[in-house]
Parts: sequence; structure tokens; C-alpha cells
Amino acid sequence: MDWSTVLDIILKFVAITIAFTVVLLIVAYTVLAERRVLALIQGRLGPNRVGYGGALQPFADLLKFILKEDIVPDKSTRFIYFLAPVIATMAALMTMIVYPFGPETSIPFIGTIPLSIARFDVALLYVLGVTSVGVYGLALAGWSSNNKYSLMGGLRSSAQMISYELALGLSLIGVIMLAGTLDLQKIVEMQSAWHGFRWIIFLQPLGFIIYLIAAIAETNRVPFDLPEAETELVAGFHTEYSAMKFALFFLAEYINMFTVSMLATTLFLGGWNVPFAEDIFGRGTFLFGLVSVLGFLLKVIFFLFLYIWLRGTLPRFRFDQLMNFGWKFLLPVALLNIFLTATLLILYMSYSGSR
Amino acid sequence: MLVLLFILFAGLAIGCAIALVAQRNPLYSAISLIGVFISLACLYVMLAAPFIAAVQVIVYAGAIMVLVVFVIMLLNVEQEERRRSRLGFLVPAAVVLAAVLVAEAAFIIWFVDKSHATPTQNISDTGLTSSIGSALFTKYLLPFEITSILLLMAIVGAMTLARRIKEIPAGAAVVPGAQVLPLHMFDRSVPLSDTRGVEAYGTEEVAEVLDLPDDHDLTKRD
Repeated sequence: MDWSTVLDIILKFVAITIAFTVVLLIVAYTVLAERRVLALIQGRLGPNRVGYGGALQPFADLLKFILKEDIVPDKSTRFIYFLAPVIATMAALMTMIVYPFGPETSIPFIGTIPLSIARFDVALLYVLGVTSVGVYGLALAGWSSNNKYSLMGGLRSSAQMISYELALGLSLIGVIMLAGTLDLQKIVEMQSAWHGFRWIIFLQPLGFIIYLIAAIAETNRVPFDLPEAETELVAGFHTEYSAMKFALFFLAEYINMFTVSMLATTLFLGGWNVPFAEDIFGRGTFLFGLVSVLGFLLKVIFFLFLYIWLRGTLPRFRFDQLMNFGWKFLLPVALLNIFLTATLLILYMSYSGSR
Repeated sequence: MLVLLFILFAGLAIGCAIALVAQRNPLYSAISLIGVFISLACLYVMLAAPFIAAVQVIVYAGAIMVLVVFVIMLLNVEQEERRRSRLGFLVPAAVVLAAVLVAEAAFIIWFVDKSHATPTQNISDTGLTSSIGSALFTKYLLPFEITSILLLMAIVGAMTLARRIKEIPAGAAVVPGAQVLPLHMFDRSVPLSDTRGVEAYGTEEVAEVLDLPDDHDLTKRD
């Protein structure tokens, strides 16, 4: 192992640390934003006491979670009971390494580096694979708690995630056909034509809507929050969890929201492409990188706001409605989208000679 | 570095595989199997086949094993009792076959000629998504499509087996919540300490399930 390899590994560790810190901070403030925005929608004030306008509330919550008593149910399956929140959080965090946060940028004192942690050929499949492993966290939590409500919540979550994973995967096939690659960075670079405004959403509006709906269902958010429906199941799969273990589930849910929003931004809203930024700052400069990263985060935050907005305004599905909607509506529409995209692509290619 | 990673993931795969057969709790076995799949996926990545690795995780760990865990949870399968193996005569055969396998591996390691020129760089692109895709849709198109028809047959077969034979009349409403009654209420030969239950919608149905005579008097038992 020579010196450059060691330096490379150190750089990767630094990059991972920075990315995780930034993302976890945004996630913490998403929780606060959710409470404040929900309060706004419902005509209340929300938490505004800790710090200026409640700015320190996430840290107060964290402190409270750490200091709470950690209760383990007597007849729980202890090993799996401890393992489940770890699986949920780890699977949520692991997808973060493949997203391109920005273009290749020259940073003072370091040199030109790509603003993403890892790049590989099957990044999109990696995201789908790791997300599909995350369901074990919820299902095993429900099973190991030895509680009827938890078990029902776990069963519901696995049934729901299997059903909507199909529509989610199929909605992305249109994008893959247009881009001709599974590499997220190539997909983003493809969208930087037309002065950074050739976003795939204009070519795939149907796919985008299907993805958005399926992604909300995948993250167990309102109106698809049946695994933790308070009125039916107490708190669903995390009924028996307390203190930090509950906090891990809480964290996993919000990180999942964040990663799903990042995927939507990367695939449909042009990733880090900010319109006309390249014309103004020039490619590869530090300012261009900064503007691109800010643009990326802004798009992600728009999606997070959309989630909160939906939670404030929509009622919950019934379980049979959920299944009918997923299997009998979303799946056929996703297949139709693939068919339409393929047909149009072949027509386009036969007229223009090549792609 | 690569050797260390190989030893790590191969050891993990073997450990999980041993745990899979040694565990008595079916859910622990399922989790071990997931561990095997994920370690195998890591090994595929090291063999420069990222597509196969991703598909391994998505299809096996993410879809099939979720269904297995789902069924185990739904049926709430209890810990299997430790009992005498029924495999009897198969044990010596298994030992012999394992010895043959180990001998084969040893033969390959020790006697097959090793070329001393190690490849400087991996330039093969057979594991990449594009080459797999073009191979599947050109050279191997017919086998690929036939495999999908095979899967379709399996789905049709499962639906035929699961189909309800009796038609439910349109006016019939679903009874909200089936009753779960203790078995000893209906069968005198069952001791009171037995906590097994019978799930049914009414007492007549329970009598029918247990094949009890019609004049069985339920009120005489306290």
C-alpha cells in the first residue's frame, strides 16, 4: 500500500464524515421543520422555546432520548430486538454514498475532486438493493417485540414495501432507458444539456409521479403510514421501543425520506444541475461546485417540504385501498409508462438515426 | 488487501451457512440465509461482477427472503423441538461426499499447474451491466424468454391452487373477527391444561371441524 492509496482512503473517510454530518443535521432540522410546518397548517405554534424560534429543539430531543430509561420487554427475542433498529438505520444510511452531491470541483489546497463518495457501474441497483434490505428492520422489530400490535405493524410494513417496491423499480426503468446507464453520475451529466435544464422530469412526467407515490409508500409516510397507524395499532412496529432504540427508528424514517428525495432529485430533477450556472461560473470552478451543491440540497429540501405538506393535508388509506391502489393501478400505469417510453424512443431513434 | 476481504466474506458466508442449518428457530435460520446472500454479493463484487451482486441482493435478500420472513411471522412458527434426526443412513453418505469435495478442492489447489504470471489489471467487461444486457437480449434471447414463461407458469399454478372453490354469495358479509375457543370445551378427551384453540365462526362450525356428534351437550361441562 503506497502513500497515494492511504491518502485516498483518508480522503474518503473525511468525505463520508462530512456527508453524514451534513445529512444528519438536515435530517434533525427536518424533524423540527415538520413540527413547525404542521403547526402552521393546523393553526398552532409548534416548538419555539428552545433557542431562537426553536432552533435548538433537535438537540434537546436528542438529549431527552439519551436520558430516557431503556425498557426491554420481558418475553422479547432479545438479540433480534436489539438488531432491528440497527438494520433499519444502517440500511437507510448506506445508500448515501452513491449520490453525486455536485460536479467535479477544484477545491483550494486539495485539487480537483468529484463531490460524491463512491462511483460505480450499478449505483442505481445498489440503492434499490440496500433499500429493499431496510424492510427487515421494521419486520423484525415487529416480530421480536412479542406484542400483537407490533407484529401487525411489522407484517403490514413488509406487505406494503413488497407491493410498492415493484412500482418503484418499474417507474425508474423509463429513466434508465433514456439514460442508457445505471451510473447516477452519468445520468446527472446527461441532464446538464440545454444550459442545465434538460431534466428528465420533462421527458418522464408519468414516471416521476409514479415514483413519487411509490416512494412515499416505501418510506411509510402519510397517507401510507399504515404500519404505524396510531388509531389502529398504538404505534405499530415500534410500540415496545423506547429511548435511543426508538430514536434510531425515528432517525431511519427521516433518513429514508431524505435518500428517497435525493434519488428523485438525481433522476428526475437534474441532480446538481442549476440552470445557467455553468454559463456564469464556468465548469469545474469552486463557485460552480458550491452553487451546484446548494441547488441539489434545495431540490431535496423541496421534496422534504412536500412530504410534510402531504402529512398535514391528507387522510390515511385503508389497507385494502392501499393494496388495490398499488397492484391494480400503480403497477399497470408503470408498465404503460415503460411501453410508451420504449415506443417513443424507438420512433425517435429511427428518425434521428441514432440516440 | 483483497485476500483479507475474501477471507472475511467467505468466512462470513460459511459461518452464516452453518448457523442456517444449526439454528432451531426458523426466523434465525432465515436471517442467517440473508447473511449468506449478502456475503455472496460481496464476493461477486470482488470478482468484478457488480450487476450479479446487485441482483443477488435485490432478488434474494430483498424480495424472496422478505416473503419467507413474512410467512414465518404470519404463521408465528414456534421454536422447533430438538429431536432425533430422521436422516439416519444419509449421515455417513454426507460425510463421504464432504470428504470427496474437500479432496477435490485440495487437488485443485496443490496439483493443478499454477501460472506464475499474475494478471496486472482486470480488463474483462463480462460482469458489466451493458455486456450482460446485450448478451441476454441477443445471443441468449430464447432461453431468457423461456425462463420468464416458466415463472409465469409457476404464478398461474399458484393461483389455481389458491383459488377458492366455493363461490361466496354476493350478499354475504364477512363476519368481523373469528372466535378462538379453547379445544377442551369441545372435546372431553383433551385435558383442561391444554391451551390449544379452535378458530371458527360459531359453535356448530366448531363441532363440524372436530367431527363431534350433534347431541354433544356443551352446557354440562363447567
